[in-house]
Amino acid sequence: MSHLFNHNGAENTGYSQPVPLQTQNEPTVPGGLLRKQSARWPRLSEPEMVRHYTWLSKRNFGIDTGFYPLGSCTMKHNPRVNEVIAQLPGIADIHPHQPEHHLQGLLSIFYEMQHMLEVCAGMDQVTLQPVAGAQGEFTAVRCIQEYFRHRGEDQRTKVIVPDSAHGTNPASAAMAGFEIVEIPSLADGRMDLDALAAVADETTAAMMITNPNTLGLFEADIKAASEIVHNAGGQMYYDGANFNAILGITSPGLMGFDAVHFNLHKTFSQPHGGGGPGSGPIGVKAQLAPFLPGPLAARRKATADESSMAVDEHWYHWEQPEHSIGKVQQWHGNAGAVIRCWAYYRRYGSGLKTMSEHAVLNANYLRHAIHREAKKAGVDHLFVDGAETDVAKHEFTLSMQPAKDAHGISAMDVAKGLLDRGYMAPTVYFPLVVPECMMIEPTETESKDTLDTFAEHFAQVLKSDPETLHEAPITTPVRRVDEVYAARNLCLRHPYDDA
Amino acid sequence: MVDQLPNRGREAEMLQEMGLASMEDLFSDIPADVRFNGELPLPGPQSEEEIISDARRLLGANTDMGSRPSFLGAGLYRNYVPAAVFQLVTRGEFLTAYTPYQPEVSQGMLQAMWEFQTLISELVGLPIANLSLYDGSTAAAEALTCAVRVHNRKASQPNTVYVSSLTPPDKLSVMFNYCQGAEIDIRTLAHKEDGTLDLDALREAAGSCGVYLEQPNPLGVLDEGLVSVKEIIGKNTALIVGVQPVSLGVVEAPGHYGADIVVGEGQPLGSPVTGGGPLYGIFACSKPYLRLMPGRIVGRSIDVDGKEAYCLTLSTREQHIRRHRATSNICTNETLIALMGAMHMALLGPDGLRDLAHRNMMACQKAKEVLSQTPGVRLVHASHHFNEFAIEVQGAASECLAYLDSNGIIGGLDLGTWYKDATNQILITTTDQTSLDEIEALSAQLALWNTHGEVNA
Repeated sequence: MSHLFNHNGAENTGYSQPVPLQTQNEPTVPGGLLRKQSARWPRLSEPEMVRHYTWLSKRNFGIDTGFYPLGSCTMKHNPRVNEVIAQLPGIADIHPHQPEHHLQGLLSIFYEMQHMLEVCAGMDQVTLQPVAGAQGEFTAVRCIQEYFRHRGEDQRTKVIVPDSAHGTNPASAAMAGFEIVEIPSLADGRMDLDALAAVADETTAAMMITNPNTLGLFEADIKAASEIVHNAGGQMYYDGANFNAILGITSPGLMGFDAVHFNLHKTFSQPHGGGGPGSGPIGVKAQLAPFLPGPLAARRKATADESSMAVDEHWYHWEQPEHSIGKVQQWHGNAGAVIRCWAYYRRYGSGLKTMSEHAVLNANYLRHAIHREAKKAGVDHLFVDGAETDVAKHEFTLSMQPAKDAHGISAMDVAKGLLDRGYMAPTVYFPLVVPECMMIEPTETESKDTLDTFAEHFAQVLKSDPETLHEAPITTPVRRVDEVYAARNLCLRHPYDDA
Repeated sequence: MVDQLPNRGREAEMLQEMGLASMEDLFSDIPADVRFNGELPLPGPQSEEEIISDARRLLGANTDMGSRPSFLGAGLYRNYVPAAVFQLVTRGEFLTAYTPYQPEVSQGMLQAMWEFQTLISELVGLPIANLSLYDGSTAAAEALTCAVRVHNRKASQPNTVYVSSLTPPDKLSVMFNYCQGAEIDIRTLAHKEDGTLDLDALREAAGSCGVYLEQPNPLGVLDEGLVSVKEIIGKNTALIVGVQPVSLGVVEAPGHYGADIVVGEGQPLGSPVTGGGPLYGIFACSKPYLRLMPGRIVGRSIDVDGKEAYCLTLSTREQHIRRHRATSNICTNETLIALMGAMHMALLGPDGLRDLAHRNMMACQKAKEVLSQTPGVRLVHASHHFNEFAIEVQGAASECLAYLDSNGIIGGLDLGTWYKDATNQILITTTDQTSLDEIEALSAQLALWNTHGEVNA
């Protein structure tokens, strides 16, 4: 084990600093504010620090390490050139409050990204300010809330979500002050139009839904759902977590949605970084655009005076929406993430449809291969499809309930068995409507060979002796971690006192 | 042609094996009336070389702060971030991992975040720190809603919080958006002429759910009065202090003068300014707030063999379990930027942090000394400052800044954009990256602006 807090070289600091500027008078901190005791931070030299973090990195699994079929998370390859671009001084060393003529390049990239997302989603206006998907959801429902207040429809206090929705949907709507109305899904995991019609009324502000849904199924009745909500006077909100399945094939706009958030860290490959940063732009139809957080990137033809500084003959500027809800982040959002995703988008351009096609091809192929290999190994009776369908979209679900019934093998056991075979586990126990659920999303950047091999391993895991599988994983840096112990014996920081 | 798709050229083979005839068959479940017709109206794909060349051209059209004297800060600060941080953080095992839901193969990031929690906890003087919120503004906003959840039952002013009247309007706007859903009333606290908090006016906040103040305050003033705040507002009102983390190398940790929650913009430790994001929000608190706090947190545990192991804990507060009753909707956070912060903190150590804070103070002091001698410039507050201070100039600050800009200097923040009565004030920010030459250039141009103003008058 390497422990940061075990390093305490007497004089060590990881880097030396230049001599401070010399002043006439020594600056002082008011007496009562002077720090009396230094933070008990470790003392490391650079070689020790580099080795510590390299050691930690080797105990972590990323897409670069191996196949990462984590459903709902779109763990695609992160092209490295994006990292190089994000470190250029023209993004790393600029301040959001610099005047517009210092930021023509940034503004032009923002404008291009707004436009691209508008085109792909069939929306009229995009803002890049929200910094994560959940914040995008919150921002959009805030805009919907202000839209109705503006129209004097204050009684619209409810947001409808299906029971299969991501937890962030109800959490974001509740944060904005909405009451949540949850509707059950049909037995096959699809949306229940009758249940929707029964709750949509003059108190409905919005319905939040993702399509393809969390089972990886396209909701063919989506237009009918939009009509029900619109007829009741509500707005339709599209959770873009599963956007990777549909670029250039359909769009939220075509399905009748009024607002959508994008997870740039899913669809457009901003690296997930072990939990963030993300970027969660939203797009809206014209009626909601005046309420967006500001400012937005806008442009006009450059004048003769401006031409020397202009990018591609345009003058870019910030524009404040008329009835803006204000800010959801103090600056312009995660600009650095937007730049990376711009670089990713440029790789595909009009070919984004090919990207989505391959994401769907890979998901369906992997589903097929898992069934094929399971049959070959004689374990195909141990799981069933989470939902009956001819084709899935970018992800699919399997229920391990038969394995549980037959041998006591749970979805978690299978997940841990896969860890032992060098894979990241799929998402487990979500969506809740599928018992013993495994949710698998391979993404478009995995080869057929990887998918075939994974399918073989999946079957072999199911063939394992149940007792052995309960013990998995055994090859990982640690074995099953006791989460109950962690919660009962809270240790949230280094316990100096015990040292 | 698009790249990065390993199965290009194998589509037919894969489809055939599934018994499908074409790609189109994969989308047979999408009704015709919602189908996109034709190609996306976007330019064609580019090669990596073309992309990087365009990136250089477009980003080169920006004016980066390092290319000229810059005195713009106002919440984001240009500190030197050591090379090792950038080299290590782009290791694929960190960069391309998801949230550590499978702890057995995520020990590296989990331990790094547990260490981050310890570093922040020590820095701010509170026992608990989460593993980051989005930025300083959302951390402050979430602290307010957290304070209301904890104190509302006993508060004589329920659903009410007080924040410094100096709080920048964009940050206040974030607070408003986060608070309005719970019908929380945000009231403001006055400051005196010298920039410090009016402690008499503060009495009004006693019995509310929380008070939000910054140290240094948004005008860079180090306010000794904050050490008396907790006593005035009492134990049933949360004291929330927003910090510039580097300052805590020399300035007392707010946890040691009564703060219940400490938040702040983590960026100066570990990250470049990056156009305002990604950043990371610091959130630390004392024990009574733990179970109602927002965000993820890592606990140390054991595995089945009794071996030390780390995992996410207390997740029953979170959206994926608690759904609409969650303490926050946050899911994706800023882990990787927090990791950069941890790496920077690890390299600094306690002595390095003290030296860094000292350098920041020396640069600020130098700028104050030079500008106080500059004709036509007045320092607004004769006070102790960290990183930044307000000056008053002849005429409108916006025009003065435009003049400085035309002479190659990024002059600072027009305080008229924050406070309506401050249209002739500029917030001057210095950091450890500020050189004497830059300060002298600023002084010389401000002196010229003054002359220029008189000429025009």
